[in-house]
Amino acid sequence: RALCPSRPAAPAALKNLPPPVTAGILHAKRTLHASQQCAAPLPPLPEKPGQVRYGLIPEEFFQFLYPKTGVTGPYMLGTGLLLYLLSKEIYVINHETVAGACILTVLIYGVKKYGSAVAAFADKLNEEKMATALAVKNDAIKSLETAIEQEKKEQWRAEGHSFLFDAKRNNIAMLLEANYRERLLTVYNEVKKRLDYQVAMQHLKRQKEQDHMIQWVEKNVVQSITPQQQKESIAKCILDLKALSKSAHVTA
Amino acid sequence: MAGRRAALKAIDWAAFSERVPPNQRAMFNALKTRSDALSARLAALPEKPPAIDWAYYKAAVAKAGMVDDFQKKFSALKVPEPVDTQTAKVDAQEKEAAKSSAEYVQASKARIAQYEQELQKFRNMIPFEQMTFEDLHEVFPETRLDKEKYPYWPHKPIADL
Repeated sequence: RALCPSRPAAPAALKNLPPPVTAGILHAKRTLHASQQCAAPLPPLPEKPGQVRYGLIPEEFFQFLYPKTGVTGPYMLGTGLLLYLLSKEIYVINHETVAGACILTVLIYGVKKYGSAVAAFADKLNEEKMATALAVKNDAIKSLETAIEQEKKEQWRAEGHSFLFDAKRNNIAMLLEANYRERLLTVYNEVKKRLDYQVAMQHLKRQKEQDHMIQWVEKNVVQSITPQQQKESIAKCILDLKALSKSAHVTA
Repeated sequence: MAGRRAALKAIDWAAFSERVPPNQRAMFNALKTRSDALSARLAALPEKPPAIDWAYYKAAVAKAGMVDDFQKKFSALKVPEPVDTQTAKVDAQEKEAAKSSAEYVQASKARIAQYEQELQKFRNMIPFEQMTFEDLHEVFPETRLDKEKYPYWPHKPIADL
């Protein structure tokens, strides 16, 4: 049943009788101020209207006459009533009757042929409205749920702030330790440099002294070789060479 | 050397990285690179400098008393530890952060409660098929047409149709 602009105003009499045929799912009694009680929340509106026979006469009438007159009762009553009206000329047949008959025929034909199509179309329109509304509702629910998820996640994230500060403290400690070690190392290096310098200086001095000594000794020795000694040594050398050459000749 | 080695707490960088929100990732990366650089520098330095071989120097250096003098001064030397000025600041920052994060969590919980409430309202709603317009206006107040402001149909500005 489409969204009604207001609470529907069905015939008051019918509201009090429970509809015998329950076609729709939603079917609860909707009393029209019959008593002071009001059921809240109100039961939903019925899906189908009251059942009607021949589009005119409600089922309740047939049900009402059934106990006394059986199934054919209302029909007999209707036929008798019609004949009475016609024979007593309470209803006069004139041109309007014919016109009415033709109009009725056309109307009924039209409704019977196209009624269901039009109803389906109208239902489709309504379905679309429902679908959009439902989609809106579902989207709203989904977005709320994701929002809740996000909030929880952010809370979890915020709890991790201790990590950051641990990291910072660690950094500070590392920096201090590194600095301290660097200072120790510098001290060691400096002292070692100075001691090594002393040792190197000593070695160098020793080296220089030795070199100088050697040179001086050599110089003096060379100086002390007098010319006479030089001549003697040369003569000796020549003699030695002659002897050597003689022995060499012999062997070769 | 009592306060020398403040114990280095092992940091789980993976877990830390998970908790970083995406808009602060650059800062996190900078912090990580800085930490890694510091720890690399620390690891490269030896814990104690190698010991000086005094006996060798005593034998080698001819100058009398110099090595002894050096040795005495060296063992008497105390290298000052670097003073820790920042940890207090970091602790203060941490306290502030704890406070602000507690506040944020509170606000977040309030928001969650609000969302839960709305969610309940949506979940307890009657299905649209059973609603009348009155019921619809109750659930979605924004659909209510303002009949005082716009007394004539369609009860809303034409542009909103």
